[in-house]
Amino acid sequence: MDWFPLFNSLRISTVSTVLTFFLGILAAYYIARMPRFVKGILDVFMTLPLVLPPTVVGYLLLRILGPKRIIGAWVLDVFGIKMVMTWWSAIFAAAVVSLPLMYRTARGAFESFDKTLAYSGQTLGLSNSYIFWRIRMPYCRQGILAGMVLAFARALGEYGATSMIAGYTPGKTATISTTVYQLWRTDNDELACKWVLVNIGISFIVLMAMNLLENGSFRSRKENTRKGDV
Amino acid sequence: MKRLTALLAACLMAAGILSGCAQKASAKTAETSSAAQTTAAQATPEATEAAPVSLTVFAAASMTETLTEIAGMYKEAAPNVTLTFNFDSSGTLKTQIQEGADCDIFISAAQKQMNQLDISADSSVNTEGLDFVLAGSRTNLLENKVVLVVPEGNPAGITSFDDIAADKVSMIALGNSDVPVGQYSQEILTNMGIWDAIQSKVTFGSNVKEVTSAVSEAAVDCGIVYATDAYSAGLTVAAEAPADMLKTPVTYPAAVLNTSSNPEAAQAFLDYLKTDDAKAVFEKVGFLMAD
Repeated sequence: MDWFPLFNSLRISTVSTVLTFFLGILAAYYIARMPRFVKGILDVFMTLPLVLPPTVVGYLLLRILGPKRIIGAWVLDVFGIKMVMTWWSAIFAAAVVSLPLMYRTARGAFESFDKTLAYSGQTLGLSNSYIFWRIRMPYCRQGILAGMVLAFARALGEYGATSMIAGYTPGKTATISTTVYQLWRTDNDELACKWVLVNIGISFIVLMAMNLLENGSFRSRKENTRKGDV
Repeated sequence: MKRLTALLAACLMAAGILSGCAQKASAKTAETSSAAQTTAAQATPEATEAAPVSLTVFAAASMTETLTEIAGMYKEAAPNVTLTFNFDSSGTLKTQIQEGADCDIFISAAQKQMNQLDISADSSVNTEGLDFVLAGSRTNLLENKVVLVVPEGNPAGITSFDDIAADKVSMIALGNSDVPVGQYSQEILTNMGIWDAIQSKVTFGSNVKEVTSAVSEAAVDCGIVYATDAYSAGLTVAAEAPADMLKTPVTYPAAVLNTSSNPEAAQAFLDYLKTDDAKAVFEKVGFLMAD
């Protein structure tokens, strides 16, 4: 059995999750500090890919990154690289659809952050980035991790936008989801079923990991705080 | 209070935009329905009194533009008939029919998919012994040509099918093995001896329109589609399939399905597709009428 789709899906999801991790927490951090009206609008924009059907997202991406469109044509001109029909084109699709998940969980986590801790840090003369990475992030660890696992799972299961922007070239751009679709279309049910089982297996592992991480963090937090502590 | 005002403003904006679109849409439907009413009034008395009939046509994706236009014309010839189309690759449509989809007429882009549903076809092709074709209704409707198309300006400078194996083509879009045009492409490229060599630079689409879009967007260097798709999408044709490389005739069979609840109306529409009016629409985009 050709295992390329598994390898490809995993690398796309991993890179996409790293991207959404940074973009998601930065967006959550800065948007949370904005005035109400701006925050509301930006929030809608950030959540939109979650609500839009993946084919709509794929279509929009193709209209922006295609070789004849705004960004795609510029990249082709300057770097000589085509942004679609490659394995890494799928990273854009996966990142766009999984960003809302990371963003929303991160924002929820940040909004439950006890600001007095940040203020204490400031009075002690700590830099803002220190406060962010060494105080805020560990405190919100549970939510951030949950967001990352959700984003990874969503990226792994992404089909519609991926199929439109990366096409399907066996051995080069095929992911598990596009492979299963093509195998079904060409009446190769046996192989399609095998990939379905592989996909279920991986999703199972990912969700188990999420549960363990959550329970682990929760338990250590519970142990460290007692009633009456600030 | 401020928040409420902002929310209200947003809702009003959305309502405004939606009603604008709805007005446009309802204006359009009002126009077409009044036009249909006047033509219906002018049509023969029998037609206006005929019971409304709804026909579902599953047709190859390459017939999208032509059949849609013909449906508009048929509305005047038989105003009581409402046509619903499902355009997709013939392989997908065959699977949908097999799984029990509601369908009156099937028009395939290759004999293979129609044979797979026809009990009178050879059992080596109709391996599952399916019986969906209404006896006596199957007919050859159209013929098409397979061509190599390139994006606007032909950036890779492709001039023939042989160029596909060359370095100047880094990516080609083809239909997958379930799609008739994909099957024709595979036959051509296998007969040319380059099928295996090019596998790493092929991206497979699920129907001919996907392949056409990939070429239109210049996402690939070239693609193999029908001459009719090239015309409809305004694509530049780089080369026609070499005659000796494609032995299977590109013929579109059409048939009424025996699961249809309106076989007479379905047959009437099939007959209409062979009239001179329909012929003009088909030939305009490059189809040839089959004998």
